[in-house]
Amino acid sequence: MNMATEKPTGTVFVVDDDEPVRDALSMLMESASLAVRSFESAKAFLDSYPADEPGCLILDIRMPGMNGFELRDELLSRNALLPIIFITGHGDVPMAVDAMKHGAIDFIQKPFRDEDLLDRVHQALARNEKERLEAQAQGEVTARFETLTPREREVMSLVVQGNANKVIAQDLGVSQRTVEIHRARVMEKMGARSIAQLVQLAGIIDK
Amino acid sequence: MFTNDDSSPDQHGEAGFQALLDAAVDAIVVIDCRGHIETFNRSAEKLFGYSAEEIRGSNVSMLMPQPYRREHDGYLARYLETGEARIIGIGREASGQRKDGTVFPMELSVGEFRDSKTVRFVGIVRDITERKETERLIRQQQERLEHVMRLGTLGEMAAGIAHEINQPLTAISTYAQAARRLIDSGLMEDDRLLEVLEKTGAQAERAGAIIRRIRNLARKRPAQRERHDIARVVDEALRLAEVDARLHDVNLSGTAEPDLPPAWVDAVQIQQVVLNLVRNAMETTPPSTSIMVETLCRSEEEVIIRVCDDGPGLDEDLISEIFNPFFTTKTHGTGMGLSISRSIVTSHGGRLEAKNRPDGGATFSVILPTAMNEHEHGN
Repeated sequence: MNMATEKPTGTVFVVDDDEPVRDALSMLMESASLAVRSFESAKAFLDSYPADEPGCLILDIRMPGMNGFELRDELLSRNALLPIIFITGHGDVPMAVDAMKHGAIDFIQKPFRDEDLLDRVHQALARNEKERLEAQAQGEVTARFETLTPREREVMSLVVQGNANKVIAQDLGVSQRTVEIHRARVMEKMGARSIAQLVQLAGIIDK
Repeated sequence: MFTNDDSSPDQHGEAGFQALLDAAVDAIVVIDCRGHIETFNRSAEKLFGYSAEEIRGSNVSMLMPQPYRREHDGYLARYLETGEARIIGIGREASGQRKDGTVFPMELSVGEFRDSKTVRFVGIVRDITERKETERLIRQQQERLEHVMRLGTLGEMAAGIAHEINQPLTAISTYAQAARRLIDSGLMEDDRLLEVLEKTGAQAERAGAIIRRIRNLARKRPAQRERHDIARVVDEALRLAEVDARLHDVNLSGTAEPDLPPAWVDAVQIQQVVLNLVRNAMETTPPSTSIMVETLCRSEEEVIIRVCDDGPGLDEDLISEIFNPFFTTKTHGTGMGLSISRSIVTSHGGRLEAKNRPDGGATFSVILPTAMNEHEHGN
């Protein structure tokens, strides 16, 4: 397995109403040195999951009470980033396709090969880590952006669109010198060392 | 009766009596108090293959197969002594044996007549081979129909059953793969390995139990009634129905009163009825509602299996029709489920009733006689 060398971070959350399947899945995760926690229902999981804990979710589509789809929607509404791997029984392929359309990272049919599932788990954990870093970066950049005055935001917007100081000064009806001062403040507050970098930061905010 | 003839009482009476006997469609046999044959009419000759001449004076028990042949003298003696009748004045189905040794089913009624000295018995025998054969064919057709319906039910449940077997298979394969990994990496302790092997075995058992239940229901077999704990019979059916309940997201629960009296039933047939009622309920009940199956006992004589749902209930105008063959409200229904269920329950001497619940939903009640008087149902 190619990804086994990188030590993945995060916990694998297993949600399945079938106790033996849950137990076996936990053991499989453990055998791959992954941290795992298992829950017998969507509700039990939601009750104990703090929305910022890194990891991924292995979820049986078909469960009594809240089913896999409903759990996914609930997670979305809580803004939780957990990638979901749906595991499905035999007749559930159309359901699984639907799951993919609605943002599941993957689905896998029971019974599965350990490599297949573990590959997907590693992908999901890697994706979660990446998304987490991005979100963190976005948070920081947004916080910086919020320190700009309304006029500085206008200037920044016009700068990243590629406008020259002269054009900006005309647009805003101020002197070119004033634009230069705003521009320097923007660069400083945003922590950008070049226009290219500022454009990049603006892109993060827009996400 | 012929002795009242004025012209020639004795002679004419005797001949007239013989003519009457010989004209009878049924076989008529008269015996004395020790069981010896005195009169054997023409129909009796035809039916049993003996001539009146050759059989006169023989013990009537030779017209019966074992074990009745052996026991008949005893019956006769006991009746004469105690007046305790087995057949006399009752009439019943029995077996006869012809001269060539063949055995046939017959309807037998016995009367007695006395003069001052002694008592005689007259037996009237009708061959019911044909009637029995017709009954057997009807029963066979019925059993075939029931079997086809059971297979149909299982077919409809196939997706759920596949899912249900897939669960233990998934657990087994995952346990095995996890164990192999742990062994490879030297992390598997002996105790843990033993535990995993036990769990794996238990999952194989679980899959086996599902298959056993299905095979039991799918098997083609003649109806066979035995003394059964009805709560267990119902429980088996519910375990199969659970498969569907999960697919329909219906909460299926079963309760049984403790110490129910046993019932004299064909377990598979009763399971078929319960499965049919529960699946009907599931199709009309909206998701996330409940179906309750209660097994209880109202008196020593009756056990009741009650299937209650939270669905829309039955259309009051149609309640009288739902048990009719081919009546259905489903788009894919055959309309045979309830009809067959009722005929199964009726053949057990019970009743199948449908009612709306006061607080919504429908209740179907299977009312079965208990096995308190099982000798009446047996044989």
